[in-house]
Amino acid sequence: MRSSLGLLVAVFFVFTALANAQIDPIPNLTVQPIPVPGGDLLPPYGLFNQFLPGPSNQNPPFDPLNAEPNGITNFRGVAAMGYTFGSATDNHGTVYGVITDIRVYQGEYVGGETANANSAGATKSVRSRGTFVEI
Amino acid sequence: MKVPDSAVQISDDTLTIHLTDVPVVDAFTFPPALPPAPENGISPVTLIPARISFDITYTKSGTPRQIRPASRDPLSPLNWGGEMWDATNSGTFSLHYNDGSFSASGDFSSQGNFGEMGTEHNGVFVDHDEKSASGIGGGKSSEVQAQTSQGAKQAGKTVLLKGHVPVKLTIE
Repeated sequence: MRSSLGLLVAVFFVFTALANAQIDPIPNLTVQPIPVPGGDLLPPYGLFNQFLPGPSNQNPPFDPLNAEPNGITNFRGVAAMGYTFGSATDNHGTVYGVITDIRVYQGEYVGGETANANSAGATKSVRSRGTFVEI
Repeated sequence: MKVPDSAVQISDDTLTIHLTDVPVVDAFTFPPALPPAPENGISPVTLIPARISFDITYTKSGTPRQIRPASRDPLSPLNWGGEMWDATNSGTFSLHYNDGSFSASGDFSSQGNFGEMGTEHNGVFVDHDEKSASGIGGGKSSEVQAQTSQGAKQAGKTVLLKGHVPVKLTIE
């Protein structure tokens, strides 16, 4: 397999940029999920509101095995995540290595909803339910 | 992104997700680059609209870890509770730029890398659910605090690319 390290991030991870693997604003969603307040500091990017749980004694290290896998706070439900490796072929026959960290959450959450339509958008806490994917 | 509930099917041991033509953007770097210094002629702020489709199956394995909050620091990774299993996952995907100039398809699998699935609660649900669970003892699963790493599965040699995900790599 021909792999280009510079493109390892290309297919999925780069396509992940919309979600940035963290909870970004979701257009037209009445009750917006709230990102976990913590996360990993990734210089020079800054605080990335997501943890990377994984086994200990790795170099470079993961976050603790039992680190929060969810990117949404005030959440109760099902969560699934995992790191993968694979390959992809584009429309020109070029083969890429692919890395993914795709997380799925389904359940209830307390998010932010507009409290007053006449305000600039100030929020109040509202309980809702949904299915979310971070890719 | 928010997706329809029907996109996810959950059974006792598996979770499958099927999504078609989900709108995404290609940003070329992860995390998104900070200006300036465009590389390879690509502006660090270039975002190309695209669509992606994928099918993924997550499968539980082993016995669950009962996780109790080991910290109440809101910024801590250990401020949550739940019941999590180690999990494998694999899937297929395809994607294309909206303008049709690029498309690709492929597959992936966890190949021994870390993954997990289960139920969890965090944030405002921690106090409520932990109090509810405090009267429940025993259980068939092992109980650990979030701060422990016992039972950690060694995922083999891993390489952390400069970015988001540590993975085991084999490049030929």
